[in-house]
Amino acid sequence: MSAILFILFAGLAIGCAVSMIVQRNPLYSAISLIGVFISLACIYVTLAAPFIAAVQVIVYAGAIMVLVVFVIMLLNVEEEERPAFRLRYLVPTAILFAALLAAEASFVIFTVQTSPYQQAHPSASANPSEVGLTASIGRGLFTQYLLPFEITSLLLLMAIVGAMTLARRASFLSPNVRVVPGAQVLTRQTVDPRAVGDATAIETDSTIEAERLLGLENAPHAKDRD
Amino acid sequence: MELTPQLSWYLALSAVLFTIGVVGVIVKRNVIAMFMCIELMLNAVNLTFVAFSSYFRDVSGQLFVFIVMTVAAAEAAVGLGIIIAIFRNRESLDVDEANILRL
Repeated sequence: MSAILFILFAGLAIGCAVSMIVQRNPLYSAISLIGVFISLACIYVTLAAPFIAAVQVIVYAGAIMVLVVFVIMLLNVEEEERPAFRLRYLVPTAILFAALLAAEASFVIFTVQTSPYQQAHPSASANPSEVGLTASIGRGLFTQYLLPFEITSLLLLMAIVGAMTLARRASFLSPNVRVVPGAQVLTRQTVDPRAVGDATAIETDSTIEAERLLGLENAPHAKDRD
Repeated sequence: MELTPQLSWYLALSAVLFTIGVVGVIVKRNVIAMFMCIELMLNAVNLTFVAFSSYFRDVSGQLFVFIVMTVAAAEAAVGLGIIIAIFRNRESLDVDEANILRL
């Protein structure tokens, strides 16, 4: 029974992963990746790790993928075109390294398979273990592994600050503004030097004065503005 | 005798998923697609941790998976922030066009 479940979910995970690579629209890739995450969560359940399975669905399939899909929608990503083939000798090199990798991996797996320390599948034993349950994970997290837990919280704080700094808009001004009247002297030069070039900033005390300096006195919209 | 999955089965699945992730990072040119392939690799490693943890009846592996998930969430936040900043500067998500380390 557990073997059938494993083969089912493993096939689903590999199929979704391959589909993620093959798709050229990033949104379809994201949906395939959600399929991988959910089938991995099912495998965790068969491994008697219900807490990790729940966190997998909530954090990965929920939070992280919502963020990724949100960014895909926000940036309006186009489908990527098929790249031109540039280096011919890469193909035999890739095949060589792939064969090497497969040989190494099968050696490791064969070693595990034939090792004398064979363990029974967690669902096979008579008395179920406490290992995967929330209580034992919480106990381990707040006693023996308290320091990594605190460091992780610090890391999350740094990630929040870093993400906000990165995604913040560098310029607060609209593209056509050249002089900001009044005390709030915030020229484009100070926030975005590329946009101004060699023009210098002008400080004024009122909108009228700014218009006179810019030669916009007789502009039609100048009188409508307060 | 009923066939139960061996530990090596899980390791093989993890290796296959990790390799697919590596192939994706190499083949893809879209930043977001590469980012998702990195997430796939993290998940493959998580599967190894959980499998060892369950078979050897030790909770440490699952705690490590918990911390890896937290790091992945932090990485997602910062990485997507970087992606948005790159897109704002270059109007493109192609990594081949982002080949100089300045704005």
